[in-house]
Amino acid sequence: MTALLTFDDVTIQYPIYNSRNMSLRNQLIRIGTGGRIETEAGHVQIVTALRGATFEIRQGDAVGLIGHNGAGKSTLLRTMAGVYTPMHGRITRQGRVATMLDLGAGMDPDLSGYENITRMSMLLGLKKAEIAANLADIEAFTELGNFLQLPVRTYSAGMTTRLLFAVATSTKPDILLVDEMFGTGDAEFQHKAKARMENLLQSVGIFVFASHSMETVLQYCNRFFFLEHGTIKEIGREDIKAG
Amino acid sequence: MSPGLADLCRTARMPGLIFYMAWSDIRARYKRSVLGPLWITLSTAIGVVGMGFIWSALFKIDRTTYIPMLTVGLILWQFMSACINESTTAFTRQANIIRNLNLPLSLYPAQLVLRHVLNLAHNIPLFFIVALILGVHFNAHMLMAAPALLLVVLNLYWMSLLIGTLGARFRDLEYLVSMVMPLIMFMSPVMYRPGALPSFGKYMWFNPLADMIEIVRYPLLGTPTPMFIYAINIGMLAIGGALTFALFNAKRNRIAFWV
Repeated sequence: MTALLTFDDVTIQYPIYNSRNMSLRNQLIRIGTGGRIETEAGHVQIVTALRGATFEIRQGDAVGLIGHNGAGKSTLLRTMAGVYTPMHGRITRQGRVATMLDLGAGMDPDLSGYENITRMSMLLGLKKAEIAANLADIEAFTELGNFLQLPVRTYSAGMTTRLLFAVATSTKPDILLVDEMFGTGDAEFQHKAKARMENLLQSVGIFVFASHSMETVLQYCNRFFFLEHGTIKEIGREDIKAG
Repeated sequence: MSPGLADLCRTARMPGLIFYMAWSDIRARYKRSVLGPLWITLSTAIGVVGMGFIWSALFKIDRTTYIPMLTVGLILWQFMSACINESTTAFTRQANIIRNLNLPLSLYPAQLVLRHVLNLAHNIPLFFIVALILGVHFNAHMLMAAPALLLVVLNLYWMSLLIGTLGARFRDLEYLVSMVMPLIMFMSPVMYRPGALPSFGKYMWFNPLADMIEIVRYPLLGTPTPMFIYAINIGMLAIGGALTFALFNAKRNRIAFWV
């Protein structure tokens, strides 16, 4: 299948509820007092995390997302993944998606490394036979050895990253979405991750990567999106080099 | 397709994942215990023995009648109250997965209910042991307990989806529900039959949990279930299911922002 990801005028807005808005009591008070304190209890801040995003990412594109903290990189990745559904705009998504957004997502810290490999692979939509076939490769890549028999809560951040990265990449996705996460690995992992990534980029249709490290983005990506206050601007390689 | 329907259809296509996740939850929970899920059976057994002797004396009912009745009541109550209590966090507990993977949201209440069905499966043999010891007559009516239990599970599913959706938006619900549930236990026919209440026993049927207990209890005790109990349970499934679907359909796409 040819991977394809298009956004047409996509806007993502979400409410920020504080404990006052989240509580039932305040909703009841609102009804009880006939809306007099509406302005206080009913005040919900709406954040526009993504504004009128329009782009098309085709097979073979490796897109680097850059921008300040809070510019909307993670929201964009989550929208691409289908976690967030936009209120306006259309999204077309073709191909199997794998994500590496939050560290430890989908893992159960009380289960062993092996059990978590199965768990995460199942969540990513793999069948039992496919998981078994991937196991040797995951074992080899993570180099966790006997640690795979221990509960994941005993792992360091770097070890968790290794496992998550190995599993997410083993699913052979068409679309791979990665939030900055290589930072936690040690030098050897960085090196191996790079090799595996390059290998994967041969087979993965679309790769989107959010990072603050310009060096890494320039290395992996061939298109660059600059995000600022929820708006996306496509820039060239030279613009990044120029800063 | 509407967001709610599309979501439910996707969930219906992944029974393997639901089962795996429910089972993996149970395994994680009892990871380092020797008895594992047998603790569920043991704690119910102790409850049945302890309460059975005291309450049968208190209510002045013959133990051979009272204890099987109590066993069914306690087993079902544990099942239903655990489902309802945990449903308030059905989505918030899974925030980690919801915010990272594109999976149908109606999966999580299904996972929750199935997990408690598996827990229930550890308790059901206890009833048959009690029934054997106390000489309950086994007959064909007992077979009706299986479809009755299915109705209870389906009713719990919409309740779980409803409470989960509301609980994701209103965080107080978790504490409210856990406060109210013990109270509801005494207002439900767990340790007695609705008929034991003198005049206002008939109002008991307005309590949905009472209907859900009795629909399983009648057949398990080898007695025919009155038709109206089936009617109430099916009606509840139709109306509750429809209302829940309307809410879920309207709010489905907001849940990822709430958790």
